[in-house]
Amino acid sequence: MEKEKLFQEIAENVVEMEDEIVEELCEKSLEMGIDPVETINGGLIPGMDKVGQLYEDGEYFLPEVLTASFALNTGIDVLKPHIKQEDDGGKIKVVIGVVEGDTHDIGKNLVKIMGESGGFQVFDLGRDVPLEEFVTVAKENNVDFICLSTLMTTTMGGMKTVIDMLKEQGIRDNFKVIIGGGPISQKFADEIGADAYETDASSAVRRMKAMKGVG
Amino acid sequence: MNEKERLFKMIEGEKTDRPPCICPGGMMNMITTGLMELAGTSLPEAHSDAILMARLAKSAYTSGCFDNVGAPFCMTVEAEAMGAKVRMGTDTIEPHVSGYVIDTTSDWNKLEKIDHTKGRSGVVLDAIKILKSELENVPVVGNLTGPVSTASSLIEPTVFYKEMRKKNADTHNLMEFVTDQLIAFGLAQIEAGADIIAISDPSGTGEILGPKYFEEFTVKYLNRLIALLKKKGAKVIVHICGQMRQVYKQADMIESDVLSFDSVVAAREARKELPDRVLMGNISTYALEFGDTVKVKTLTRFAAENGFDIISPACGLGMRSPLENIKAMGEALRERA
Repeated sequence: MEKEKLFQEIAENVVEMEDEIVEELCEKSLEMGIDPVETINGGLIPGMDKVGQLYEDGEYFLPEVLTASFALNTGIDVLKPHIKQEDDGGKIKVVIGVVEGDTHDIGKNLVKIMGESGGFQVFDLGRDVPLEEFVTVAKENNVDFICLSTLMTTTMGGMKTVIDMLKEQGIRDNFKVIIGGGPISQKFADEIGADAYETDASSAVRRMKAMKGVG
Repeated sequence: MNEKERLFKMIEGEKTDRPPCICPGGMMNMITTGLMELAGTSLPEAHSDAILMARLAKSAYTSGCFDNVGAPFCMTVEAEAMGAKVRMGTDTIEPHVSGYVIDTTSDWNKLEKIDHTKGRSGVVLDAIKILKSELENVPVVGNLTGPVSTASSLIEPTVFYKEMRKKNADTHNLMEFVTDQLIAFGLAQIEAGADIIAISDPSGTGEILGPKYFEEFTVKYLNRLIALLKKKGAKVIVHICGQMRQVYKQADMIESDVLSFDSVVAAREARKELPDRVLMGNISTYALEFGDTVKVKTLTRFAAENGFDIISPACGLGMRSPLENIKAMGEALRERA
């Protein structure tokens, strides 16, 4: 089988959420001696991009995106041990989490999935995250973006607290703060001084790339 | 016309003096720090004590905020009774699940059944009994967490959503088990005195699942639950969060007496798509917490004039929402009457 044809099949099977076939095809790419990085960039990621497109178009919903990302990760697990050396130098670095008091992490997980498939290095703090942890992890890893999510009006205030903590420590300009979630609006983002607000995972990832001048 | 007559007449499609203004409880929390002060009772204590729960629930009515009382004030009672770990929150943060019970839907048979004689499910039943005995003419609303939201409180939600497809039969087994538990708890709430059962299923929305899975998992199990609650004599409200545009047809299949929507749903659109349904909604909880009385009254009039039969907050109230804003909903309705 030709390389291009193989990549196309991998992409199609990510879209079709067929994790077992993706696994087989990725093993086959190794047998054929194809550089695993090329398989990721030429097969797996275009597949996940298509999934993101279908999600934006309302053809796919959360269960499909999660299952497709499971297929994507199955493929990456096959290829990863064969990547000679990982070059994280130029990667966009992101710390992400759901603010304290809230456990709704579906949207956050989608941004993480879309970000990782877009080549970001993502530090996922999970949900119900103590606010100072965002600042600590952002500093430690010198990230580009702090992504804050909440679905509840009761916990929105935590986003402002994070931004205020950055200001108090005099490091507000070291990071871009992006916020999202059900009750969040552009108006709220402006009020608390966030750098950006986005409504869905694909747009958030596109916005971050644009803000860093890539993609 | 007393509160109970007004709400029941509205649900039956009869004439009333004005639309009722209610907040069921459960996910649609009605408790605020202002009410805690009035009642001399605070959270999180009242989540676990029937007398305090009833006292706090009652204050939502006696303060003039709402035309009903309801319990509990969170959506973790059922999951906790089935084995989930719950953090009880504070006076401004609601209780939430902090530890799941099973790792995969195939382990559904390892879950505990809800034992209503103990724990917080027992507290809820006792609180309902107290409310019923103390308030004759006020509707008492018992609350259930919807089947999908309960199931995804027992297992990591991303695994749950993935296994809807990957382990379809096991996911249905889990849903059957969970629905059986909710039926038993709901029937016990009606026996304790609940006139109405409100079910909120924020994790099972059309926006999250898409039309196909919404019908297969949300609508199917809600209807199994609703049928038995109705048979026992209660009216049933179902609240669905999020955008409805893609799932109006499926929403109309839900056999509840009332459908409730959140603030992203436009009143006129909902009325046009669901002409024959009793609709409840959808005053922005953001406006209720951060807006003023003028804004709340405007939103209330708009909702009442453009399609909503019963006025309610669009979601759970932020616990710092000022009482004057909450009261403004009822005031706007009385001014119109």
